[in-house]
Amino acid sequence: MNGSGARRRAVITGIGVVAPNGVGTDDFWKATCQGASVLAPIDREGCEQYPLRVAGLVKGFDPAQFVEERVLVATDRFTHFAMAAAAMALDDAGPPVDEDDPFGIGVVTAAGSGGGEFGQRELQQLWSQGPHHVGPYQSIAWFYAASTGQISIRGDFKGPCGVVASDEPGGLDAVAHAAHDVARGTNAVVVGAAEAPIAPYSMVCQLGYRELSRVAEAEQAYLPFSERASGFAPAEGGAFFVLEDEATARNRGARIRAVVAGHAATFTGASRWPESREGLAHAMRGALAEAACAPEEVDVVFADALAVPEADRAEASALADVLGDHASRVPVTAPKAGTGRAYCGGSMLDAAAAALALEQGLVPPTPNVTGCAYDLDLVTGFARATAPRTALVLSRGLMGSNSALVLRLGSES
Amino acid sequence: MTVELTSTDLATLLKTKAGITVDPLDLDRPGATFEEFGVDSLGLLAVVGELENRHGLSMTSAESAQSSAEFLNAVNLSLKKGA
Repeated sequence: MNGSGARRRAVITGIGVVAPNGVGTDDFWKATCQGASVLAPIDREGCEQYPLRVAGLVKGFDPAQFVEERVLVATDRFTHFAMAAAAMALDDAGPPVDEDDPFGIGVVTAAGSGGGEFGQRELQQLWSQGPHHVGPYQSIAWFYAASTGQISIRGDFKGPCGVVASDEPGGLDAVAHAAHDVARGTNAVVVGAAEAPIAPYSMVCQLGYRELSRVAEAEQAYLPFSERASGFAPAEGGAFFVLEDEATARNRGARIRAVVAGHAATFTGASRWPESREGLAHAMRGALAEAACAPEEVDVVFADALAVPEADRAEASALADVLGDHASRVPVTAPKAGTGRAYCGGSMLDAAAAALALEQGLVPPTPNVTGCAYDLDLVTGFARATAPRTALVLSRGLMGSNSALVLRLGSES
Repeated sequence: MTVELTSTDLATLLKTKAGITVDPLDLDRPGATFEEFGVDSLGLLAVVGELENRHGLSMTSAESAQSSAEFLNAVNLSLKKGA
């Protein structure tokens, strides 16, 4: 199917998830389909006193289970999540064909807040005791490239490596970046994102976001597309994929979970929600064009779902602009309403849920939300067995990025 | 009397500052190098930093030690000089 002149397509062969509603892909998917909400008052030590009250926290995660001790001391929680999810994805995919060629496998992650908890600890040392009391791992633990670096070192993956910093859509953009690496000749790329922004310093950084929900009751804090929408609840966690060249993956008998069919990204400026309508629409058109996908072929939309009325309105309008009449009929869902928005980890969680929805034939619901204030078929209450074959994943960043990713069912050549 | 750093002390520091678990007896083995225990330059720096802060002395020479024997010699020399 792929002649030497044809573009090499990237397919997802492995999925790993560390989410507030489940550590491990199976637990995550089961909880996501059930539509339960795990948003809760923040109970992490030192974090209870801020105006930010509700978030999605990862529970039952023991970093020592996934990260060896000498790396644990040199890394922040966001890298622990990333290393765990990457390991799960690699385990899921099975050994790629050229595992003996270290240059055959690359690593791309998206990053956002980085190692805030680790950094805070070292900065406290700096200002209370002086520079000699800052440890040697500070620079490599808190910076944006930490997860790419550690995953690459542990796996001996010397192929093209990179980091994408484009806010919440970073996860989708990292997948696109990795797909480009595959197209250019790398057979396998470990790609994903995980964030851990629920720690005192990181939380204070978020208090300036006017889109943040200040609601204290967990079930009322984050209600996208609802008339009562009043902002978003943040979260920690993320997901990883193993992307492989389609022909190579099929030849080795790998299980193709989904095909990365198209992507596009635009930028419309920080908190400019009315303007994001055009930006998101443009990204959608670009992604659909690359995927050679007609609007009516979209079977499910995983929405950005910011839960700020201006932003929800812009997203609903963008969908109508691009999908026409189909926009009010295609199932739209936002499982993140039950887990919170994990910044760039969140768009990866959406991409993972989209891939699983295609594979399992199930569209998960939007937790906590009962009614939709827009002309959209928002899936609420229960999962729907609609057997979608094409998923459109949307993401917007508080700082202005807009991205769209199209995934197709893996069994279709 | 000057405090001297022993292999046991070093093993404890490697565990707490660098996350490396190694038996002091293995550290003492003739010809044993830090590299074989997975102690890299940053790990060593973490141990040196802790010792420097604890004793208020500079111990730069210990940073380039390749083995436990070399390291202990360098540290204990600094401690003796600084006492």
